[in-house]
Amino acid sequence: MNMDKPIRRVAIFGLLLFFGLMAQVNYVQGSEAESLRTDPLNTRRFSEVFNNPRGQITADGQVLVKSFPTGKSNPKYGRTYKDGLLYSPITGYFNGGASKVEMAYNSLLGGTDKRITHQRWFDTFIGKKPEGADLELTLNTAAQETAYRRLKAQTSQGRRGGVAVIDIRTGAVQVLASFPSFDPNEVAPQTGLTGGKRLEALDAQTGVIKPLIDNAMSQTFPPGSSFKIVTSAIAMDGGAINSQSQVSTGQLVLPESNKALPNSHDTGQCGGTATLRGAFAESCNTTFGKLALEMGIDKLNAGATKFGFNRKFEIEPDVQPAESDVPVEYFDPATKKKIRTGRDGTARSGIGQENVRATPLQMAMVAAATANKGKIMKPYLVERARAKDQSELYRARAQEYAQAMKADTADQLADMMRAVVTEGTGKSLAQYGIAGKTGTAEQGEGNPNARWFVGFAPMEKPRYAFAVVTEGPESGGANAGPIAGEVMRQVLKK
Amino acid sequence: MSSIGDQIRAQLPYNRRGAASLALLIFAMVLTLSAFAEVGLARDGRLPLGLPLYGGGLAVLAFAAYFVQAKFAPYADPVLLPLAVALNGIGLAMIYRLDLDTSRGKQAALSSGKAFEDAADAPGQLMWTFVGIALFVAAVLIMRDTNRSDAPLSFTPKTAQRYTYLIGLGAIILLLLPVVPGVGREINGAKVWIAIGGFSVQPGEFAKLLLVVFFAGYLVNKRQAMSLIGKKIGPISLPRARDLGPIMVIWIFCLGVLFIQKDLGTALLYFGLFVSMLYIATQRVSWVMIGIGLLAVGIFVATLLPFMGHVNQRISIWQHPEPYFDGGCMMASGKVEPVNPNTAIFKKNQIILEQKAKQYESQGNAARAKNTRAIAPGWYACTNELKGKYADSAQLMHGLFALGQGGVLGTGLGQGKPWIIPLSFSDFIFDSLGEELGLTGLMVLLLIYALIVQRGMKTAVAARDPFLKLFAGGVSFVLALQVFVIVGGVTKLIPLTGLTTPFLSQGGSSLMANWILIAILVRMSHDARKPAPQAIQDEGMTQIVSTR
Repeated sequence: MNMDKPIRRVAIFGLLLFFGLMAQVNYVQGSEAESLRTDPLNTRRFSEVFNNPRGQITADGQVLVKSFPTGKSNPKYGRTYKDGLLYSPITGYFNGGASKVEMAYNSLLGGTDKRITHQRWFDTFIGKKPEGADLELTLNTAAQETAYRRLKAQTSQGRRGGVAVIDIRTGAVQVLASFPSFDPNEVAPQTGLTGGKRLEALDAQTGVIKPLIDNAMSQTFPPGSSFKIVTSAIAMDGGAINSQSQVSTGQLVLPESNKALPNSHDTGQCGGTATLRGAFAESCNTTFGKLALEMGIDKLNAGATKFGFNRKFEIEPDVQPAESDVPVEYFDPATKKKIRTGRDGTARSGIGQENVRATPLQMAMVAAATANKGKIMKPYLVERARAKDQSELYRARAQEYAQAMKADTADQLADMMRAVVTEGTGKSLAQYGIAGKTGTAEQGEGNPNARWFVGFAPMEKPRYAFAVVTEGPESGGANAGPIAGEVMRQVLKK
Repeated sequence: MSSIGDQIRAQLPYNRRGAASLALLIFAMVLTLSAFAEVGLARDGRLPLGLPLYGGGLAVLAFAAYFVQAKFAPYADPVLLPLAVALNGIGLAMIYRLDLDTSRGKQAALSSGKAFEDAADAPGQLMWTFVGIALFVAAVLIMRDTNRSDAPLSFTPKTAQRYTYLIGLGAIILLLLPVVPGVGREINGAKVWIAIGGFSVQPGEFAKLLLVVFFAGYLVNKRQAMSLIGKKIGPISLPRARDLGPIMVIWIFCLGVLFIQKDLGTALLYFGLFVSMLYIATQRVSWVMIGIGLLAVGIFVATLLPFMGHVNQRISIWQHPEPYFDGGCMMASGKVEPVNPNTAIFKKNQIILEQKAKQYESQGNAARAKNTRAIAPGWYACTNELKGKYADSAQLMHGLFALGQGGVLGTGLGQGKPWIIPLSFSDFIFDSLGEELGLTGLMVLLLIYALIVQRGMKTAVAARDPFLKLFAGGVSFVLALQVFVIVGGVTKLIPLTGLTTPFLSQGGSSLMANWILIAILVRMSHDARKPAPQAIQDEGMTQIVSTR
């Protein structure tokens, strides 16, 4: 009996084992390599990053962030941030880990992105490391500087403020300023362990001031009266009323507690009845409390969702602004149960109090809808990315985010917002040529007001939408309004 | 009708291929020396100081081996030696490269008085390479009188057939040694080591070769009976109990020992070896079926046994390694709960353990406090609070990350960070090489292995004696299977089990056993390929005497 045949079969089986291994190695190192390299558990992601220069981040032709050789072996390259306090809400920091744009475009900045490596395959072949791409931000640097300077001057000691300005036709973010801020230079790679400790300290800060969390898109505030834009839009979109309808501006007794919902003043338009336009211009709380009660919390919630409330989106890859909310139910920490917003709560939600919260960016998007026939374009921060040879690797594309309301409703609302400045609570702002809605939200016992001004500029043929919030005493019109006016003056200069 | 073996023999050149072998050997040395040079140039910008010692040492050894082969086994397969030298050299270069980067940690540990066993050790590996190649030379010399198996001081593969049962006994003793108290040592949870002098030896590596001899010797005697006699039930013909009995006993014994030693990789290796040799001997597919059935039953039983829970877990890690990263806990329900240092449960149990340690300290029980502090909080959280089974997939995941980092072309020797992988120089050396040599380099390594195996199989086919056929086929297949189990494990093709990567992994036992394996193949290929003996009595043409 001959054994040659079975030996040959076993030999073929042995070969099949090797083919299996080769196929698996090809799978792992070929098609899976990229996802393994970016796996969140993979600590190697951060070990190589200091050995190569990262790309620059520029805005308005100014270099805001760049790498420099340290002359040491580890890290080989450091990173400097020009006016870090001003720009950190957008650029974020980089210290191996990263945040904001530094994180969103990590692979392009670091030169590991496929769009670079595929183009420069010959470089990898001869062992030359691919170079990181440069990013161009949509930012208006002069306006950003104004915004930060004014926020710093106008915000109460130990409190917060934020400004967001977007281009209504594209969604390009012009200003995204936050106070207080942090300087990414303090935690950059060249600072080594000190920087790491500083970052931990910044991260561990408790209380209202959390420097790593910017107040322009990552922090929510009660929008107060500025939310009346949304309440009005939902009511008018329903078709029952328009800006000229007569509405009651007199007393409103809340149905559950039998307490009155106060107006800031009971004279002028808020004296009894007025047009919706008039009530809006003078910001009569009772009118909008009533509108909210009539539509109910579910409709208010659904209508606000069309503006972007109650949902998240990515402003850039992996960067999500905080979620703004008009909650139908809220979590009660005392009983550990979810409680449905009651009738009183619904009325207060209609004037942007109770549990309604919004980021300045979200409110700017609301204003953009009024100025742009109800359409909101998706905000973005990065205009384009260029490889070191100046070839374009990425270019932002204007995308529609939502149709928040009917075009007709938007036009009426825009007119109402102009009325605020010409005849209402924002009369003092007439010199700036901007339209908008004031807001002065109470933040509970012991906390100062959140002062808002949300609107668009120029007044006629608007191009930009903005939202400003600062915390302190006084009102939105007196405090946030002038900041908005000066920032928009800078924005419109360009 | 001639067999395949006859056809191959008919086409064999019966030439001495010394020149080809030498050229390939020089190429293998160029490859190895370039690897060493690249490590130094990439890391420090100059040729490494170790180049003359390591590269030169290997070159001297390799050429010594070549001259012995050329003199005493001139008809041997010309590629076996160069392929083995190339693998050994690349492995040595990688270990040298890892040694350079881990030596600092090692020195720090030693100076602070801690034991630091897990480190790449290039001088040690060079020494074992020397011993391994010396064994190759010795084996080729000792086995030279193939035709005269009774010649003094000669032990040819054929001689081994006479001592089948003795060798089987030897294999069992070698397998048992590590579990004998006082002799065995446990390293990294596997009881596969024994301490001889100052060295740790893995007797299993040698038992592997002895088992091949035993199976070959036994099967060659019984194969006729086993393949012809027996009850036929449907399409499957069952063997007689007395033919199957002894071999089942030794098989169950092997598996038992291995399950106790918790070395599943080796169990899988022996099992595959057993089934394949049975198939070669009997040509019965039914045997393969019975074998696979036994394996399925074995694995099923193992997953049911409470103390064999790690079999379940190995499979679970293979399917989803992520939750096990830096510690995961498998609950009775089969759900996996992460207990890595970032989790709340880890931090909670860390505090509990610290409190306990402080309590012991206040009671004046310093030793117990120290022991308590040594407990891993993840493990503690899993076994105490969650009542589950603890495992860690960090090794496998780090290995895969290294492969991902390498990509198609690799980072280049000396330019990656393979030392991040735990056991980067032994179990995971294939992943270390994958990071720095890339997919391209790994394909070359796998091709080298495949070539050795196929050359071994060709030797088996060309061999004339049935025992030698089984022997050569067995050692070739066991090499293929070992590469499959360990490389498949570290690339997540199959569940990970610990085995050495032949010629690449750091470790003396593995190197020595594999060099002997190559020596056996070299000797057998020489015998198979040398010209058949010429008839001595050449009497010329019959003379026709004229009667006229």
